[in-house]
Amino acid sequence: MRFTLLALFITMAWGQTGIDIAKMVDDKVLPKDMSNTTKMVLTNSKGKTRTNMMMSKSMDGNKKQIIWFMAPKDDRGVAFLKIEHDNKDDEMRMWLPAFKKVRRISSKRKGDAFMGSDMSYEDLTNRDIADYDYNRLDDETINGTLCYVLESTPRTSANSTYSKHLSWIDQSSLTILQEHSFDKRGKLKKEKTFKYQKLKDYFVMDQVYVKDVQKNHSTEVTFEKLEVDSGVKSALFQEKNLKRIPR
Amino acid sequence: MRKIESKYSDHPIRRFFIRQSLDHPKRTIFVSLLVTVIMASGLQFFTIDDDMLKMMPEDLPSRMSWDDIQDEFGSTEVIFIAFGHEGQDGFHPDALAKMWDLSEALEASHWVDEVTSISTYTRMDNYDGFMEIDDLQLDRILSQDKANDIRFYLDKNDKIKKQLVSQDGDYLVAIVQPFDSIEMVGFVSEVKAIADSLLIGYDVHYGGQAYFTGIMPPMIRDDVRGLMVAGMIIMIIILMLNLRNIAAVAMVITVIILSLGGMMGFMGWMFRLTGSGKFLFTLANTSMPIIMLTIANSDGVHVMTKFFKEFRVFKEKRHAIASTMDSLLIPIFLTSITTVAAFSAMTTSPLEPLIGYGITISAGIFFAWFLSSTLLPSLINLKKWDPNSKAMTTKSIFEKIIDKLGKLVLTHPKYIFSTGLLIVIIGIGGLLKVSVDVDISKFFKEGSELRNSMDFLGEKMNGTIDLRVRLEGDMKDPVILKNMTKLQNRLEEFPQVRTSYSIANVVEQMHRTVMDDDPAYETIPESRDKVNNLFTMYSMSGDPDDFSTMVDYDYSVGLVTAFSTNLSTHEIFKIVDATQKFMDTVFPVSMPTNFTGIIVITRDLINLLIESTIFSIIFSLIIIGIIASIFFKKILWGALAVIPLTSAVLINFGFMGYFGIELSHVTAILSSIIIGVGVDFAVHYIAQFRRLSRTIGEDKLSREVVDDVGYPIILDAASNMGFGALLFSAFVPIQYIGGLMVFAMVSTSLGTLTVLSALAELLKKKLIERKTQ
Repeated sequence: MRFTLLALFITMAWGQTGIDIAKMVDDKVLPKDMSNTTKMVLTNSKGKTRTNMMMSKSMDGNKKQIIWFMAPKDDRGVAFLKIEHDNKDDEMRMWLPAFKKVRRISSKRKGDAFMGSDMSYEDLTNRDIADYDYNRLDDETINGTLCYVLESTPRTSANSTYSKHLSWIDQSSLTILQEHSFDKRGKLKKEKTFKYQKLKDYFVMDQVYVKDVQKNHSTEVTFEKLEVDSGVKSALFQEKNLKRIPR
Repeated sequence: MRKIESKYSDHPIRRFFIRQSLDHPKRTIFVSLLVTVIMASGLQFFTIDDDMLKMMPEDLPSRMSWDDIQDEFGSTEVIFIAFGHEGQDGFHPDALAKMWDLSEALEASHWVDEVTSISTYTRMDNYDGFMEIDDLQLDRILSQDKANDIRFYLDKNDKIKKQLVSQDGDYLVAIVQPFDSIEMVGFVSEVKAIADSLLIGYDVHYGGQAYFTGIMPPMIRDDVRGLMVAGMIIMIIILMLNLRNIAAVAMVITVIILSLGGMMGFMGWMFRLTGSGKFLFTLANTSMPIIMLTIANSDGVHVMTKFFKEFRVFKEKRHAIASTMDSLLIPIFLTSITTVAAFSAMTTSPLEPLIGYGITISAGIFFAWFLSSTLLPSLINLKKWDPNSKAMTTKSIFEKIIDKLGKLVLTHPKYIFSTGLLIVIIGIGGLLKVSVDVDISKFFKEGSELRNSMDFLGEKMNGTIDLRVRLEGDMKDPVILKNMTKLQNRLEEFPQVRTSYSIANVVEQMHRTVMDDDPAYETIPESRDKVNNLFTMYSMSGDPDDFSTMVDYDYSVGLVTAFSTNLSTHEIFKIVDATQKFMDTVFPVSMPTNFTGIIVITRDLINLLIESTIFSIIFSLIIIGIIASIFFKKILWGALAVIPLTSAVLINFGFMGYFGIELSHVTAILSSIIIGVGVDFAVHYIAQFRRLSRTIGEDKLSREVVDDVGYPIILDAASNMGFGALLFSAFVPIQYIGGLMVFAMVSTSLGTLTVLSALAELLKKKLIERKTQ
């Protein structure tokens, strides 16, 4: 009896194991759909910047997403459609207004950069819990917020381009505030920070900053005009809707 | 210590110097050694570097463009690694697996920024309207079918193939780019270590500008060490044969070694204090230690032989030293000044290492003069000399030769002068045949490993010598892109230019891919919007860094790169001039373009070499003429002093022309060395002529002068055969310098004893100074 009480005390004090935390994060309820205007600023090692403005609508936790390019002027009208599949390759299509053609794009290389940013397709895809091993490290405080520190090591099945991730997870909201990702050689590759706002009952990401420390290139993404559960229809995610920017 | 009764000299400065050696020899030796230690302590900052670009003036347009390109597109200095087996297909799964391993290992190195090879290259395909960007080599282990698929893709994309495979397909190529502004020796050493360990059993060749920049410093260091040893051995043998006294030889060698240490330390200090690339030790500086060795030797030999001569007369050491230094302090100082004048002409050179060369060796010459005037007589003073020794009592073989030569010259002055003139005229004939070439491959002996690698890359690969055109403008504008392809086509019309690439080629490839892989669309699209759509589409799956070597981040600066095989000077000028003209017609004046690359920089280097060589010869001859006129108080002496030098320089370049020895940034220093070292002979001759003319009659004057200075001049020249050590260099132009300098020593010393002597004999009535009766 004394041993059981001690074990219970330890569990309460220390909290969850790595896999427990990962499950808690994964089990969070996500919006059914999301709409926003995205501003993406890319900055290279010499301080030169490129800014893109896009309108995005997504559902099923980003598994279906359509993006219309608004700025720069050169890219206005270009549109992108992504539909993730569990059992086959993801579909990605792009509308090229100057050619008046829709073209499919490959998504074979998970490490490829998305739109020239520091985020790869792997970074943008939800991690399958079964593909990783988790190890909880000592808790730390980030900007006054107490965080779990979780080490995630991809298994072979993840086919990851990383060797591990260190994530700082807000203990109250279970949102990831900061993450460091390491390349296959074990060297730090990317530093990511995330900010959120509360919309309805969700903590919705409204800013992401990613820095590729090896290339000294950074990406800052700001999500504006955020809407959740606004009734985005599944029918929106069709090729024909790429050709016209919605009002 | 017993003081001699008479005063040391009738001149206060000479008297001061002589007093230091005679009255305070130990203090003088201590001070000399202390100064040497202070100077030589700069050796800790002594740095060997041989970056061709660092030689060029920083404001040279082609260097500025090069620097801009490095800033915008990363280092353009790369190493090419080619491996395979002659006559065997390079597209073999084993070879591709090796390339995979090599690329991975190199990319893991912190020296390496990027590796371009089949294993790292990206392919762009169209499958049923599906634009796929994927790795060209998907896995380490491939089936022969997969390897053939890579070959098929490259056959379809010839420009890519030319970068990654040899012309016959036998060898695979990895292009290794270092991080910008890294130390090349470490980079090359790392890359070579990785490649050598992985490519055992393969025929491996290295090349590229980065490779040579990285491999040269250790080679230069080893070469200089070897040359120094050889030079010392030669000098000791010659000194022993002539001085026939171990202590005397040891004293001269001490002066040489300390002078050398002081000079090299000075170079280190200058690099430390100024941070200037002028004070980096380059291939062009390789001859510097040997030259310093001969100059220091020259001063020492004059002092020692004169001392022996005086000792025979006075039979008393202190008198002999006083008399020696009284007669030699001014000539040695004057020869130092004139030699410095000749070498200081190098400071006007537009080439950075030659400026540092001139300054450093000038400092070394002054230091050698200081040691010869203080340390050496002090050492002589401390030694107990035997007046009955063979060295003191009998003439050496050189002295006997001089006796005979003196008689010949004075019996037939006009004949000797005419013969000299004839040789000079023959030399002028060869002068017109001198060609300029800075092709680095020719710096290495035929058959050497390095030369074989360079020849291999030149013949089998698609070029390692780059030409770059930087263009400012909208890199999505179809007109500009089309003009870029026109420029590439023009460049590829030259048979030596094997390949070229630019962002225009990528646009053409993307266009074809988007248009269902129809070859008819391998063109630049007609509208800017289409070009932009292609880039946007690529960015959805390709790495933005894929284009970083061709276009800048803003698409406002583009780079056309072409590679050629090894080029002759004539070909370099032809290609550069024709390309420049073509660019002037194709690109509007409002569109800034910069033309650079090793080809253009080599063209500029050649122009600078010709300019600096001609200027330095004229400048040094004029300065020496002026100095000699002032010191000897007669313009005629100034003119006569430069005659043997001018003759020697003309004959030297004539020989270069006849023997096909090319003028390069390494051999360009020859004229300064010849003038700087050769002027000593004339100065010694003139000083003695003037000195003896005050006491000896006209009839016997020339005979006595030749008799008096002939021996030290010939001994000096013979000791300078240490230049012959340069013949053992690993670098061909340094060998040429060695051979030509041996010849120059003969021509300047004999020129002084024959041409100058004959002229002085002919003009003696105008030259002899008589004290007012």
